[in-house]
Amino acid sequence: VPAVLTPTRPRPGNRTLLTALLLAAFTASVLAAPVGDLLRGGGAAGALLGSLLRPDLTAGFLWTVAEASAVTAAYAVAAMSVALLLGVPGALLVSGVLARRPLVRMGTSAVARALIAVPRAVHELVWALLLLAVLGLTPLTGVLAIAIPYGATIARVLGDRLLDVPQAPLDALRSTGASPAQVLVYGRLPLAARGVTSYLLYRLECAVRAAAVLSFIGLGGIGLQVEIALADLRFERVWPLLGALVLLVLAVDTASRAVSRRCAA
Amino acid sequence: VLLLVGAAWAVVLTQPGAPVPAVGTVAERVARLAGDLAGAGREQQPAYADPVRLLSVARLALETVAMSVLAIGLAALGALASVPLAARVLTVGELGPGRWRTAIAFHVARAAHVVTRSVPEVVWALLVVLLVPPGVLAGALALALHEVGVLGRLGADLVDDVDRAPLRALRATGAGRFALLGYGVLPAALPQLVTVLLYRWEVTVRASVVVGFLTAAGLGYQLRLDLSFRRWTDVALVLLTYLLLVWAVDAVSSGLRRLAR
Repeated sequence: VPAVLTPTRPRPGNRTLLTALLLAAFTASVLAAPVGDLLRGGGAAGALLGSLLRPDLTAGFLWTVAEASAVTAAYAVAAMSVALLLGVPGALLVSGVLARRPLVRMGTSAVARALIAVPRAVHELVWALLLLAVLGLTPLTGVLAIAIPYGATIARVLGDRLLDVPQAPLDALRSTGASPAQVLVYGRLPLAARGVTSYLLYRLECAVRAAAVLSFIGLGGIGLQVEIALADLRFERVWPLLGALVLLVLAVDTASRAVSRRCAA
Repeated sequence: VLLLVGAAWAVVLTQPGAPVPAVGTVAERVARLAGDLAGAGREQQPAYADPVRLLSVARLALETVAMSVLAIGLAALGALASVPLAARVLTVGELGPGRWRTAIAFHVARAAHVVTRSVPEVVWALLVVLLVPPGVLAGALALALHEVGVLGRLGADLVDDVDRAPLRALRATGAGRFALLGYGVLPAALPQLVTVLLYRWEVTVRASVVVGFLTAAGLGYQLRLDLSFRRWTDVALVLLTYLLLVWAVDAVSSGLRRLAR
């Protein structure tokens, strides 16, 4: 019987303890929050929900929605292009696949992993605040705010995927005298391609969401229009904007599913 | 793809905004910001040397954690209720009842997940503060609304990946759909669902600072106040606490994940 068919289960962890811990944490958080707040407030609920029935679909406003969606999509794509420029070389360092000697490999990998931990830990909008103080309110601030944490995350995940490929084909390549670079190009990249592509499309989806809220620091796009609509109490304008955002995300999601289906076939 | 990227850059660079500063200016500003954050050249005591402020930041960090746990817990409850409907296996798949009502429930659940997931936490926060008074609860609701969509999507994918053979065996013994769910699907998918839940909790903690910025809760609100009053050493303190918190949460989460195995 091949080993694949008889999976050896790792020793199960203490699930009762886990359940107890998770339930206790949740209960504590419920007790810590002033749930009574829910009963007050609600002043704008009627107006907000009522506007859902009569969204603003005039041609002039739909043009604004389209423009804002284009800006958001553009920020997302531009940010992803920079994130890839940072992330792909980063992935090679994180995985250390190009090094010949094991010691060099472990060294570069450990240093690279430690270096990308900080940019990864900080939310993109916190990056936006920091970059705002340094670069000022330029479009580049928004692009970099997304690209820096995403580049670090891509480096980490891509690096792990390059290592997680099946080892047998790689050994076959090595036995023919292939260098680490050749093993990477002819072995690891084709083996990891499917997972990597769908992961990158997933990151693009996240980038679209992140780009939509660059209005946090005052840049344009869907978020800015939502803020303007809320500030003007024009609730009927919020819904077409959210609809456009859903459509954008859905488009990337559909592309991602199509790619993974094509690769599976 | 290159054409798309070129077009995107063209749109981005024509956006209104200040011109991109020169490298020298940027370097100078980085140096000044770093100095300000460290509290260089100030008479007052820097915030991170003040025990009172350390204590208050610790309390806010706790509040942030409570907000994120509440959010992920609410999202988990929402996902638990909606995932069986949004997964193919027990609704429109071969083991489903084949009724049109179930098919409608399936599509409604899927659509609800897509909509909640597509709208980022920050936009949910803008909407939630109109309905709920600002505070921890508003922040938790905003985070939960986004996470329920993410967890719903990931959960439905996991449930659909469950091995069908044991389910068919259960069905052959005459088990109904709820029995299939309770004895077949959940035991198979739950460990992975918990892993995903913990992973999303880490993401929620990162986002809770930004959401707190808008809903007046936790570290995020403190960051907003400190930034607007240009109390740079306080900003540094909040950012450092944030980093420590993210690392601590990652460590706790990976410990709990080991229990879920």
